[in-house]
Amino acid sequence: MQTRVISLLVEDNPGVLTRMSGMFTMRGINISSLTVSPCEKPGLSRMTVTIEASESELEKVRKQLSNLIEVIKVVDLKEHDAIIRDLCLMKVHTKNVEARTEVMQLAESYGAKIADASFNSIILELTDEPERIERFIELMKHFGIKQLFRTGITAIARD
Amino acid sequence: MAGKKLSGAEIVVEELKKEGVEVAFGIPGGALLDFYEALQQAEEIRHILMRHEQCAAHAADGYARVSGRTGVCIATSGPGATNLITGLTNANMDSSPVVALTGQVPTSAIGSNAFQEASTFTITMPITKHNFLVTRAEDLPRVIHNAFYIANTGRKGVVLVDLPKDVQASKVEVELHPEETFPGYKPNINPNKVQTKKAAEVLANAERPLILAGGGVISADATEELRTLAETLGAGVVTTLMGKGAIPESHPLCLGMAGMHGRIYANRALNECDALLALGTRFSDRLTGWQLDQFAPDATLIQVDVDAAEINKNIPVDIPIVGDVKLALSDILKWLKKESIREGSVWLQRVKEMHSACEECIKDIRRPGSSVSDILIKELNNLLDDDTIITTEVGQCQMFAAHYYMTKKPRTFISSGGLGTMGFGFPAAIGAKVAAPDKQVVDIAGDGSFLMTCHDLATCVENDIPVVVCIFDNRYLGMVRQWQELFFDKRYLHTNLGITPDFIKLGEAFGCYAERVEKPEDLKSALKNAFESGKPAVLDMIVGKEDKVLPMIPPGGGITGMIGTERCRRV
Ligand SMILES: Cc1ncc(C[n+]2csc(CCOP(=O)(O)OP(=O)(O)O)c2C)c(N)n1
Ligand SMILES: [Mg+2]
Repeated sequence: MQTRVISLLVEDNPGVLTRMSGMFTMRGINISSLTVSPCEKPGLSRMTVTIEASESELEKVRKQLSNLIEVIKVVDLKEHDAIIRDLCLMKVHTKNVEARTEVMQLAESYGAKIADASFNSIILELTDEPERIERFIELMKHFGIKQLFRTGITAIARD
Repeated sequence: MAGKKLSGAEIVVEELKKEGVEVAFGIPGGALLDFYEALQQAEEIRHILMRHEQCAAHAADGYARVSGRTGVCIATSGPGATNLITGLTNANMDSSPVVALTGQVPTSAIGSNAFQEASTFTITMPITKHNFLVTRAEDLPRVIHNAFYIANTGRKGVVLVDLPKDVQASKVEVELHPEETFPGYKPNINPNKVQTKKAAEVLANAERPLILAGGGVISADATEELRTLAETLGAGVVTTLMGKGAIPESHPLCLGMAGMHGRIYANRALNECDALLALGTRFSDRLTGWQLDQFAPDATLIQVDVDAAEINKNIPVDIPIVGDVKLALSDILKWLKKESIREGSVWLQRVKEMHSACEECIKDIRRPGSSVSDILIKELNNLLDDDTIITTEVGQCQMFAAHYYMTKKPRTFISSGGLGTMGFGFPAAIGAKVAAPDKQVVDIAGDGSFLMTCHDLATCVENDIPVVVCIFDNRYLGMVRQWQELFFDKRYLHTNLGITPDFIKLGEAFGCYAERVEKPEDLKSALKNAFESGKPAVLDMIVGKEDKVLPMIPPGGGITGMIGTERCRRV
């Protein structure tokens, strides 16, 4: 078992998401993250699907995805030749001035933006590789995370 | 034809005509009124009114398997569409080209739980090769064109088109007969030359080459190439259930069907071969058994399939070839041209011996220990001509037929392979007879299966479709009873059919010819009477209540572990 990122170029039709996710459901594979958005070609969308799967499961699901009529291209993105990004929004407790200063310093060192601030919480925004986001989240847990949102992975292959 | 306004329904019918559709099996309903109005105008399309939508789908499937052309079935929204599901799943699992047209509530009502609304589009997604919910009449030409293109190319299958009522009714100006296809659909037809060359080398150098022919050989019309290759190589040929008919079973190199209810020597050959060329087969567990170390353990495995997703799916392959079976076989034959194949190899002798052993057993109709069911199928080998189309229900009846019936030609043995659908054989026979009206069509039926779809005898009588249903009347859900007998200490739970109707009266009530066959000796005259009656016919053949289909691979076993082989001749 390993984390796999699959990038799909699909026709932007109603039902295409169900059709695509059905391929994973049939094999009992859980989708851990999924992003869908328009792309450079009109009428087409790009999906980035992250799953936990073995090499052979990945191979089978990749071929079955290719068989879908509305799927134009399937790319299995290898970690080292792709730029992988995730966006995270979180609301962190800042009960006192010290906490507030510390959160802001840490945010700065991670390159996170302060999206909003209120009297006893700060909303932080960070776009980065998923592992760095994980680490940032771990850090922020010390202060208390009220809410956490992540968009899920999107990725692009290098040339 | 641009410039003229057509209704959505008329557009669909125009496109059906262009696709050369000559027959459609269906049942109308509120959501199809416009469509049926338009269909009525098309004289070249015959509509056969079925009595259940499941039968419409099976008939379209049977028609497709016999003719190679796309079968068409029609059902209304809601219950009509949900009734189709079993039939569509069955066709899709056996890669049979079928286009289903379904009525749908108006687009404005979709999602409102309107009367007779079911989400046909979502329900049929996992059981079709592709499906469409058409929301604009303008899209219909492209959708219908592609529905047929997708259904009958690459790995064939089912395409469903859901047609909301308002889309059928709205009048639009469109360009008919588009050629445009979808960018994401490009079937891999052409095999890779490097791979076919490698395959040829392996086969030419093998001592014990064997070919495993699946339904893909028949679907690709590659039976001539298969036979030539087998003869050139001196290779044995075994088939799957779906591959029955890919090579005449009387051919000295043919060892018949392999697998759980296959012939003992077909399985032996799979165990003994040192090169195995698998053609258009998905290595289902019914073929391989469950001890995969007994399945071709010494063989270099070459797999040819038009669907890349089948390669390496169930069995690891040494030489994968993605492409059309016919083209791949032609290429392999070209590469082989120069090689001379040793006549009289030890293996060739062994294959021929194994073939004869099986053939003798089958010709020896009353071989000691034979059950009435065995005898009846063996008799059919003598009573039916080579062109006769056999369809089967599911259960013991099916496996008796698969085991003992000697299929001589492709597209003459039609059976539910993947889904194992009781009730398939009879409506499939209807489709078969419509596709080939000059051929005799016989459904080998079980009493349990036949009751699932027998209402369509009305369709046969009304439309003058004289098929012959041969019921193996054991008053049991026999196959399940056999498992209970062998593996569940004879606890016959809910397999006794108890008071089954009088099939003679049933047949007669529908207006069919009907006759009871009390003893195998009576089969000949009963069949003659049935065919001569010119009517649809029901033959109620009384078989041993506890007849068993043997030999078989018991659950969990492998292909060399068949039980019940006492009656087989040893070689
Ligand atoms: C629609 C459906 N329901 C249930 C089954 C499970 N099943 C497989 S064989 C069989 C018995 C078939 O009985 P019958 O048609 O009388 O044939 P026989 O085995 O007696 O020859 C059953 C119930 C099935 N294959 N299909
Ligand atoms: Mg029975």
